[in-house]
Amino acid sequence: MPTRPARSTTRTTTRAAARPKEQPAQHRSEDDPRIMLDRQVSADLYQPIPPYPTRTEREAEFYSLGDGQMFLNIGPHHPATHGVLRLVVKLSGEQVVDVDPVLGYLHRGVEKICENSDYYHVIDQVDPLEYVSSLFQEWAAVLAFEKLMDVEVPARAEYIRVLSGELLRVASHTLFMGFLALDLGGLTPILYSFIERDEIVEMLAALTGARMLFNYFRIGGVNGDLNHDFMSRLGDWMSRAARQTEANTGLLNENEIFVRRARGVGVMNREMALRFGVTGGNLRASGIPFDVRRAHPYSVYPALDFNVPTRLEGDSLARYLIRMDEVRESIKIIDQCLHQMPDGPVMARLPRLLRPRPGRAWGAVEGPRGMLGVYAISDGSDQPFRFRIHDPSFMNLEVVSHLLPGNLLADTMAIVASLDPIMGGIDK
Amino acid sequence: MDRALKRRLEARLGAQIRGPIRQRHDQTEIRIQPGGLPDVLRTLHDSVDLRFEILADLAGVDTGREMQVVYHLWSETTPDWLRVIVEGLSREDPRCPSGTFLWAGAEWLEREAYDMFGIVFEGNRDLRRIFMPPDYTSFPLRKDFLLPDDSARSPGEGVRHMERPFAPAVVAGDPADGVRRAPAS
Amino acid sequence: MTFAGRTWGRMSPTARLTAIFVPLALLLAIAAVVAVVLVLPALVNFLGANVPLVRFVVAVVAILVLTIPTAFVLIYMELKVIARVNLRVGPNRIGPWGTATSLVHGFKVLSKEDFAPTGADMPVFTLAPVVTFLASVMTLLVIPFAPGIFGQDFNIGLLFFFAMGGLSVLGLLMAGWASFNKYSLLGGLRSAAQIVSYETPLTISVVGVVILAGTMSMNHIVLAQSGSALDWFVFKQPLAVLIFFIAATAEANRTPFDMTEADSEIVAGFATEYSGMRFGFFFFAEYVNVFIVSALLATIFFGGWTAPFDWPWPYNLNWLAASSIGILWIPIALLALFVGTGVMAVAVRLIGGREWTAPSAFGLGFIITGAAMTALLGLALFIAFDWAQGIFWFMAKTYAFVFTFVWMRGTLPRVRVDQLMGFAWKWLLPASLLNLFVTAAAVIILNR
Repeated sequence: MPTRPARSTTRTTTRAAARPKEQPAQHRSEDDPRIMLDRQVSADLYQPIPPYPTRTEREAEFYSLGDGQMFLNIGPHHPATHGVLRLVVKLSGEQVVDVDPVLGYLHRGVEKICENSDYYHVIDQVDPLEYVSSLFQEWAAVLAFEKLMDVEVPARAEYIRVLSGELLRVASHTLFMGFLALDLGGLTPILYSFIERDEIVEMLAALTGARMLFNYFRIGGVNGDLNHDFMSRLGDWMSRAARQTEANTGLLNENEIFVRRARGVGVMNREMALRFGVTGGNLRASGIPFDVRRAHPYSVYPALDFNVPTRLEGDSLARYLIRMDEVRESIKIIDQCLHQMPDGPVMARLPRLLRPRPGRAWGAVEGPRGMLGVYAISDGSDQPFRFRIHDPSFMNLEVVSHLLPGNLLADTMAIVASLDPIMGGIDK
Repeated sequence: MDRALKRRLEARLGAQIRGPIRQRHDQTEIRIQPGGLPDVLRTLHDSVDLRFEILADLAGVDTGREMQVVYHLWSETTPDWLRVIVEGLSREDPRCPSGTFLWAGAEWLEREAYDMFGIVFEGNRDLRRIFMPPDYTSFPLRKDFLLPDDSARSPGEGVRHMERPFAPAVVAGDPADGVRRAPAS
Repeated sequence: MTFAGRTWGRMSPTARLTAIFVPLALLLAIAAVVAVVLVLPALVNFLGANVPLVRFVVAVVAILVLTIPTAFVLIYMELKVIARVNLRVGPNRIGPWGTATSLVHGFKVLSKEDFAPTGADMPVFTLAPVVTFLASVMTLLVIPFAPGIFGQDFNIGLLFFFAMGGLSVLGLLMAGWASFNKYSLLGGLRSAAQIVSYETPLTISVVGVVILAGTMSMNHIVLAQSGSALDWFVFKQPLAVLIFFIAATAEANRTPFDMTEADSEIVAGFATEYSGMRFGFFFFAEYVNVFIVSALLATIFFGGWTAPFDWPWPYNLNWLAASSIGILWIPIALLALFVGTGVMAVAVRLIGGREWTAPSAFGLGFIITGAAMTALLGLALFIAFDWAQGIFWFMAKTYAFVFTFVWMRGTLPRVRVDQLMGFAWKWLLPASLLNLFVTAAAVIILNR
């Protein structure tokens, strides 16, 4: 580590004193083939995407331009990509020929951090993955850890988990609707959906203490019981929820322009959905009724009565309608939870320092975007040895490179928005 | 815990499974060698009584002694998740056949495993880095990855003092099997 | 240092400003008086001999000057109305209820750095906003705002209007090309294609009105609709109104046809690389475009400046005219202002309570009195002069349509570009041709 000079402790002095003179300067702009300086522009005016040597077959195939084709960089800074996503699109006029999504702009190394955190801290670290619906990541992690430690979760805690999870699912789907409409040009539905989401998020803030990154689930239960503030807000919301959902979805369902832009666009058939490992609403919109809550039930879902909406068309409109159906199902589930909620503790008794037995465990939950899985390996110490997160948006976005070609550029955003990706989860 | 599944797996894949089939809670685990991966995956996917059609996850694991690739699969014939651990990949040159012939979605998952561990998947048409920049030289999730060494090669060197993360000593066997790690030095 | 230097250094900013501007103002006043005394008779004679030229110059200057406040009003209206549609409040900080927001936006746009991207084609880049703005503004020359208030009464006024409107395509193409940016190129091409394809149904739908009115002069078209609301062409050409409305939305690049500035796909379309006053020009041109298509809709189909019912002739308010009371009007008005301010200040203090300090009470009193006097003056003008009535009705109708355009922007999503084109060529064009055919046939049959 650099030695500090005796005289001054300013950063520049330290840095200057640290680096020896003969060390070659790194990262000079002239040497970096990815930056095109102004004086080079006139030399190679139409150098599209800086071609560092292509390393793979697919890259070579993508970065070779045919006749009349051009690259368009729908870049990480963009008003409409769902976070920092870079789509390099190969266009022939207005029609998309190929697309190469570039990820990693939001990569935070969560898996590595979790390897150095103890089991309680992992729950806090894993929240900002899909920040819009953060309880589901906590749930998956906690599910895996409970399998590792053979912990029995009290029934009341399970019901509270389902209740808060389904509330957050409604909030996430409402936000999805707003963003889909915004990407298609409607300025109003997003504000309506933020009003809805705000109500739910205030409710959850009364319950968990935070509006967005909740840090609420614990291994063996949840952090706190239901309180009066939460229940009164929940009662208010439930009395209006069904009607409000109908009104909000009516905004878009009956809008001819919206329906025409979403119908038949980005069709994903059954076998493509299965091959790409797509899960969640996108899979069910293509006709495969796979829902982790029914296929591999966890928590108290076996005791709850709800349908799994499935549609066969596989286009953007089907993906949108399925999520709206799921909102109705979630409201039903919340209602049942409130009626069936037993009394009891909300947290199992666990030691303060958690050292599970060595072993491996996989836990998967059904998040708003699909199946969220956590594979945890424990080596007997108080930190997980390997903490692997499988994010549904990751698989959902992968299919975009096969859905976009053939469609117009104007449909790009409609398709990406209808898949509902959240870059925090994709980039981990 | 699906005993019937264990029997079916032993019947179909008996020769290729190394060691016992372990079952715990709702998970069944088989271990195979990398060479046999394509046949095993094909059998699991296509057999009428197995039909593991849904790929749930593809992860890389660095056990400190070797590398593993872990598949999680789901089938409607059994209530259990199936975990396929491809073990025996060396830490210096980890190579594994690709699963993209069966699931095209494995392409990005394998890219992530390559990016984080350096595992080369033979047969993946697009094996390049996915999260880290394309000219990055380390593999972050490996157990011998030290952040100060990595940041020393970046322009951020010398600006902040980086904490030394826990560097595990090399242990015998799979650490998830009960052998305690050496304490932090 | 000199004495002047030391004195200057000791003076406060107010003193400095006074020291500069008061002598300057005196100098200018003296020069103005001298110039007027020497030049004025000759000038008045010259102007008196060329009244049409004077009228034209005044009209052109008025149009150029008045586009800016119009754009400001439209911008404010759009922000507020869309905010209310979105269940928000909109700008409410700057000025009473946020009305000075547009002004501040104008200053902000003026104060930005003026740069151009590397590789941009500078002459074309600079001229593109100018062309777009001028194309929009020149159409205002032929719109009749009131009986007697129009720029020029061409007998091919409508044709001139569409010709000038079509010029804006050139500006958009120039902007898209010269920006050296793929997004801009895409946006420019899309917008050119859109405007060109919607011009045909736009012009053909209006030909029915031309047949009915017998002339292309806008003034005469309005006169042909005088009488009552039932004489308006909207009742005789309902299909044409519909086609015109839709095509005009596309011409003005408004939602649902605002593919060109679809900020979820191509950032800002052709205007991506523009900032500062250049972007301000595009911005203003778009809002002036909205105003002129609304104005055209009002003029051609809804009677222009005619009243919807039989309005009594302008009353003769000559007993209020300057000839009887004379120049005494000015001190009377000032006295009324003073007294009114005082009375209103007292009323404000009594009603509002103690927190209304004297300056704010007087300020509010002044505003109320000024507003009341202006309203009275407006009412007097309205009753007395037919041009005031004409302006009122014209503006009412135009702003009703502007409101409709803004309302549509807040409510509807965007139509995709190929659906847009398909709609124009496959539906609007045949519909407008059908309308023309039916109108022509009806005129021939009914006039036999």
